[in-house]
Amino acid sequence: MNSIHVQNLSFRIGKRLLLDDVSLHADTGERIAIVGPNGAGKTTLLRCLLGFIYGESGVIKLNENPLTQLSRQEIARMIGYVPQQLDHDIPFTVLEFIMMSRYAHAQSGGLIPKDPDGDQIARQATERTGIQHLENQSMSTLSGGERQKVNIAAALAQQTPILVLDEPSSHLDPKQRESIQQLLGEIGRKSKTTILAVTHDLNWAAMDFDRIIGMSDGRVIADAPPVEFMTSDILHQIFNAHWAVQPHPESGLPMILPTHHSPGLITDY
Amino acid sequence: MLKSPHRFIYFVLLPLTVATLLVMPWLGEHKPALDVILRPAENDLDAMIFWQIRVPRVLLAMFAGMGLSLGGVVFQAIFRNPLATPFTLGVAGGASLGVTLSIFLGLNLTILGVSGISLSALVGAMGAIAIVYGIARATGNISPNTMLLGGVAISFFFSSLILLLQYLGDMSDSFRIIHWLMGDLSRASVDTVFQILPFIVSGALITGLLHRELNLLSINDDLAASCGLHVERMRIILFLAVSLMIAGIVTVCGPIGFVGIMAPHICRLLVGSNHRNLIPASLLFGGIFLTLCDTLARTISISAEVPVGIITAILGGPFFLWLLFRKRRSS
Repeated sequence: MNSIHVQNLSFRIGKRLLLDDVSLHADTGERIAIVGPNGAGKTTLLRCLLGFIYGESGVIKLNENPLTQLSRQEIARMIGYVPQQLDHDIPFTVLEFIMMSRYAHAQSGGLIPKDPDGDQIARQATERTGIQHLENQSMSTLSGGERQKVNIAAALAQQTPILVLDEPSSHLDPKQRESIQQLLGEIGRKSKTTILAVTHDLNWAAMDFDRIIGMSDGRVIADAPPVEFMTSDILHQIFNAHWAVQPHPESGLPMILPTHHSPGLITDY
Repeated sequence: MLKSPHRFIYFVLLPLTVATLLVMPWLGEHKPALDVILRPAENDLDAMIFWQIRVPRVLLAMFAGMGLSLGGVVFQAIFRNPLATPFTLGVAGGASLGVTLSIFLGLNLTILGVSGISLSALVGAMGAIAIVYGIARATGNISPNTMLLGGVAISFFFSSLILLLQYLGDMSDSFRIIHWLMGDLSRASVDTVFQILPFIVSGALITGLLHRELNLLSINDDLAASCGLHVERMRIILFLAVSLMIAGIVTVCGPIGFVGIMAPHICRLLVGSNHRNLIPASLLFGGIFLTLCDTLARTISISAEVPVGIITAILGGPFFLWLLFRKRRSS
């Protein structure tokens, strides 16, 4: 069982309600995309799931255990986290960085931490993400896509049944984005890892996920499989924009097309 | 960064530390003979100078340098700011204010063998720590930036109070205050070495055991938390432990500021930023550096000692810049 249950979660900063009565669940091995406009509360939701912040009401349960009763290390052994691009220089080698994610495992040994398999597990993670050749390079010399692969490798080395990702493929050029998305797809298919990813890439959400959750103004507006979710009606409710939805020529999955502006109209802005 | 940080620490820094400890006590105005030192006759002046003044002084400089450098490493990591030192965070400011007040008020008490000056420095440093911690707590946001800004504000506030007291005091008080503020190891004795030792040993042990935590904190709070670290609790533990250690050092030696900012950065250039290597390297480097500076301070001029704080800054600044430029060119 690697499930997450969120019941009636609300979170507020000052007078602003960032999460308004949010309920959702993710079962073992499920892949869920969370989409919505900027400021919809997606990242806040992830931060609540990871136990960085606590809601003012509502309950989050990890495998039936309330999150508030778990220690940081217990949470870290269950949920791995891939952040948005870390934007500053990280003065560590790739392998050193990945080893850091073994902290929760190493720490269970007491005063002098022991993690006998840590090194091997870190190397397996670089192999799975195809970055063995970068192991001894400094993080600060890597490209955006390589860095994101290192972040994913670190989360894999954490050996958690649940992965939470915050816009893992934004900031990347189209080719690197595709390679990250492919990598995450393989991870999802090959293991029973439950994946929750916040993304702005609706077409990726439609292609690679079992369910899409659409948020707007701190509320869950829709929660459905891609085929049901990707309709211009639901997208309009969430993003307040009109997009054409067309089947992908090969897979038949629904994709959105960018709105067509005729050249003459641009001057009207 | 060097290819093998481990080898550099064990085969370069460690022997250099031992060599420094063995050679430096022999330098100075008096040139004692080896057999006089090893088999001293009773009340032999040379032997007394050697064993009761020079050796304690070299040890004091070594330990103080180690602690100040370690303090810089830890504060730069937990506040993720290359300029953070216990000095920018008000600890030294608090100690200095304590000392200034006790000189100004003419307190000459001694409690349990600890002088009034040491005691008031300790009280001042603890006060500053409590205020910075209190500010962080009260804002409900124990973030690096809140604590850093709180510390800097306290530091400036204390500095102006010190200036005010100096302005109000007489010439001889002012001179004593200024002399102390420049950082001074001339009060070294066997007692002061033992006074400072427990602070350094416990500080080194605590931070040495927490090198993984320091690595995580130095990257990003969210990432550290997602790896299982209780970020705020760990930051407070390290802040309090290191501040206490620095308070212990400043109490004896005065605020010798430059070591804490420069030694950690030089060591990062040499052994990298992994605290597993950085902690032992900066301990040894800081110790060697301050001992060499202090030896220079007490031998450079026969008529009067130069305060060691002046030497550390004059030597350290250009050396640091040279390393920085060399690194830029090679990368």
